[in-house]
Amino acid sequence: MKLGRLSIKAYLGIVSLILAVLIPLILGISHYLLTVLILMLVFIMYASAWNLLALSGQGSLGHAAFFGIGGYTSAIIANSLGISPFATILAGGFFAAFIGVLIGLTCVRLREWFLAMVTFGFAIIVHTVTTELSWLTGGWDGIPAKKLIPVTIPNYILYEYYLVLLITVIVIAIIYLIMKSKIGLALEAIRENELEAKVMGINVTKYKLMAFAVSAFFTGIAGALEIHHFGYITPEVYGIDISFWPIIYCISGGLLTIEGPILGTILITLLDESLKNFGWTYERYILIGLILILVVRFLPKGFVSIPEKIKSKLRSHS
Amino acid sequence: MRKYGILVTVVIVSLLLAISLGQLAGAESEADEIKIGLVAPLTGGASTTGTDMWESAVLAADEINAAGGVNVNGVNMQITLVKGDTETSREGGVKVVTKLITEDEVDILVGGFSSGITSADQVVAAEHKVPFIITGASSPTITHRTDIDTSYFFHHCPTTDDYGESTILFVDEIVKPEIYEQFDFPADRPLRLAVLYQDSAYGVGVYDGIKKTIENYNLNMEVVAEEKFKMSETDFRTTLTVIKAAEPDVVYPAAFLNEQTLIVSQGMRDVSLNTIYLSVECNDDPDYYTGVERWGEYSIQESRFGPYAIPSGPLQDAVVKFRDDFEAKWGAPPSMMGASTYEGVYIAAEAVKDAGTRDKGAVRDALAGIEMTQMVEAMKDGVITFTPDYRESKFELYMQQLIWDETVGETRPKIVWPDSVKETDFVLPDWYEPGSAPTPEEPGFEAVFAIAGLLAVAYLVLRRQK
Amino acid sequence: MDIGVLIQILVWGIYAGCIYILLAIGLNLIFGVMKVVNFAHGELLMLGAYAAFWIYTFSSINPYLIVPLSMLLIAILGIFIERLCFRPIMGTGKLNEIFLSLGLIYLFQNLVAFLWSTNSRYIRSPYGEVVVHIGAIKLPLDYLIIIIVTIVFLIAFQLFMKKTTTGRAMRATSQNREAAALMGINVERMDMLSFALGSALAAAAGSLWLISGQMANPYMGAIPAIKAFAVVIIGGLGSIPGAIIAGMTLGIAENVVPYFMQALVAVFGYEMSFTGWKDTIAFLILIIVLILRPTGIFGERGE
Repeated sequence: MKLGRLSIKAYLGIVSLILAVLIPLILGISHYLLTVLILMLVFIMYASAWNLLALSGQGSLGHAAFFGIGGYTSAIIANSLGISPFATILAGGFFAAFIGVLIGLTCVRLREWFLAMVTFGFAIIVHTVTTELSWLTGGWDGIPAKKLIPVTIPNYILYEYYLVLLITVIVIAIIYLIMKSKIGLALEAIRENELEAKVMGINVTKYKLMAFAVSAFFTGIAGALEIHHFGYITPEVYGIDISFWPIIYCISGGLLTIEGPILGTILITLLDESLKNFGWTYERYILIGLILILVVRFLPKGFVSIPEKIKSKLRSHS
Repeated sequence: MRKYGILVTVVIVSLLLAISLGQLAGAESEADEIKIGLVAPLTGGASTTGTDMWESAVLAADEINAAGGVNVNGVNMQITLVKGDTETSREGGVKVVTKLITEDEVDILVGGFSSGITSADQVVAAEHKVPFIITGASSPTITHRTDIDTSYFFHHCPTTDDYGESTILFVDEIVKPEIYEQFDFPADRPLRLAVLYQDSAYGVGVYDGIKKTIENYNLNMEVVAEEKFKMSETDFRTTLTVIKAAEPDVVYPAAFLNEQTLIVSQGMRDVSLNTIYLSVECNDDPDYYTGVERWGEYSIQESRFGPYAIPSGPLQDAVVKFRDDFEAKWGAPPSMMGASTYEGVYIAAEAVKDAGTRDKGAVRDALAGIEMTQMVEAMKDGVITFTPDYRESKFELYMQQLIWDETVGETRPKIVWPDSVKETDFVLPDWYEPGSAPTPEEPGFEAVFAIAGLLAVAYLVLRRQK
Repeated sequence: MDIGVLIQILVWGIYAGCIYILLAIGLNLIFGVMKVVNFAHGELLMLGAYAAFWIYTFSSINPYLIVPLSMLLIAILGIFIERLCFRPIMGTGKLNEIFLSLGLIYLFQNLVAFLWSTNSRYIRSPYGEVVVHIGAIKLPLDYLIIIIVTIVFLIAFQLFMKKTTTGRAMRATSQNREAAALMGINVERMDMLSFALGSALAAAAGSLWLISGQMANPYMGAIPAIKAFAVVIIGGLGSIPGAIIAGMTLGIAENVVPYFMQALVAVFGYEMSFTGWKDTIAFLILIIVLILRPTGIFGERGE
């Protein structure tokens, strides 16, 4: 039973991966399409990383801090040492993880609401610090960031897409492995009941910090990838919206599952882009607010649970 | 069976995704039209400004098309505007500029609002070498940055440096002598200036412009207080109290409309900081006059296009016509960003005409050498032209003073500077209170206070913990 | 910086504190009774301000008389929110409350922007130009009224909770829900009441804020609500006196601390403005307090 489940998920994963690889070949090398897809991949990574933290029962409202720290670190190192972004992206991730552990240390003892507030405030603090350190970060004007792949190479955007796709797949695979490993089980146990987990001999602090570090690491990588794609970074990267998007993606897709953030990011981006074509403005966000409320209320496991819901409905009818 | 069902669903969803995205693509370029991509925040935080920009551009394009289009090397071409919504976000900006350039294949870009967003989507434009007439982002970095090739960017709106410069020069030339005469100050006494700026690229930019002007012109001025505030702050009372304690002669807030309204009304009403308030051009807006009410009387505004004051001289008729046409078409008067975007479309049309082709390199060269008569905003020497170094057009910014108008129950601006366009003289109100050097206080007093305060807090917290 | 300036700043701090207290008490009440945190509390403040604005525009009666009306309207809205959104998800996990609030924030902010545009709205107080002299301080009458109204609300609230049967029932519910239910208290009614009361207090804060010369726009609620939440945390979840003390402290601290910091760095020869750091300072205080005491200064142990 379990094996069958696993294999169908793997099957699905492979098919969507093949599709992702083929998209540029089917539709041609469209700069716009690939830009949209690259950003989507970045946010899939980001949402999955956020989801990993939520797995330990810690819901962050300020993940943009790590997203931005990753971006700034990578851009600054790449600029000052003159090395390729490939190496510095990792540095961005590691520095974000380091900061993540620090903020995690403050958070481990806190309850959900407190943690939400502290992370939210943390993003504001990081924003202020970044603008104050203008000798390093360029202040409000921001600083240029190297392109991932030099624009002089013909069809560079295609390589960039495949590169980001590759990184996304690796990140998702690692997160999947973590979720399925003992660590994932421990995190789940902590989420369900911290006290019981402690009694069972799980080192709660260690695992919570680990979740923070890993989540911040991948968020930092996603942030670094985005700004190396953009070629410029400004403090706008710490915007509240940037903190909230991954939450919306995860909840609507399906919290605490590996496929939830992926599906959520794709569907919400798609919805957003198509409603934009109708000229919807505020209505779009009203709709997103409604979706959030309705999903929390009626579909707590997100869109991924729709097939199961239908299935159980059908079964109860027959 | 069920497994296949899910599989099929996923494949279909992915395909739909691919197709719908693909369909956004693929607009064909007509042979005899000039495609202008208008980059503006039509949704999100700055949507009001963005909508103004779009409406002005439509007005300009309609006017040009009604007059027969643009004569490009003997062929009359119509202008087609393509909407580019940045959603007031970096992601949105990059996506839409990429779309305009690679899918809609526009010949030239006009617009761009907010320096943070523009600096990201500029990278795309530079990469594809598409000329971009920037009419809404005020940071000088836009054309000064060196990491990308900026030679395709033309800045047609004043920069934060320009705001600071004209305002400070006006203060030095007009306000200072008036104060010094009335209060018998010695000429060597430096003018006491307080700056209260928004903590953003815009506010910091204005403050830099002020400092640069004082230095470059070697003005006898002293910044006695520099305070900053967070964007969309609403409570300025504490900051204004501290500014008042520094005893300034004039106060220069670099703020947006909502903030400026509150700064002036809280300063006059709550803190009794009875001084001359200066302001940046974005506050020359009907909402400002309604919001600031009587508190705004006698305050100073820098401007280049406004709802009420019209610079006297050659521009007058053009401004009235533009305003009436705009109001007839859209039901409300145009804004300042609208005016420069309106001109931006005309500049784009003129450049294509001069180049005689839609080739982007040729259009760029034509823009670099363009010389057009000013349209609805006063330009230096009456000509729209871009400087050779950083491709910035130079505006003739003017200063206006708000005077109470009993008939409308609001203040109305009157242009007081420079002489070429002025309507009336600057007046120093009778309630005006100048600053004077504060008496020297005991050094280190605040530090003792601060340390004592911190110790007290620490003590309380620690005691509680026990 | 002399003492006169400091006192003046203190007054501005107290004024800011009043708004935080009104918000924080509502949050605290709701939390006490329902054990639910409504992160969208600031949107109720915003809607309260808009309610006051529209009533004023159409009736132009004395704006202070509008406050109760606006409170009533938002209380009714609060009941709907409680019934439709929070009650069904009670007990399904604390993260869900945060996510639901997030949805409410998106919904209300954009609905208001969609219906009434993002233009700033204001009310003119009839006492706008009246200034009261208290010693060396000049205080516009409106601030005095707001401070007094807040105190009156606090006293009335305290009396209600202590002296009336409903108030006692509410307190019983917040102390022990199961026991209260066994005692025959209709706890669901208490939930509804607490949400209505909390919403009304938020609306009062919004309307008073608007009358004192603030502007209403769809996004006005976000920052005060977050600060109010920080107040609740610092004061301890469920503690009303804690909320009052912490609210006042935060209001004063975020106005005074920037100047202490400025003076402090001046000792080391630096010149730097910290006034833009208001929110940053509020959160730094929050984090420091939480590091020292994870349940807040006045917080009871556990929940």
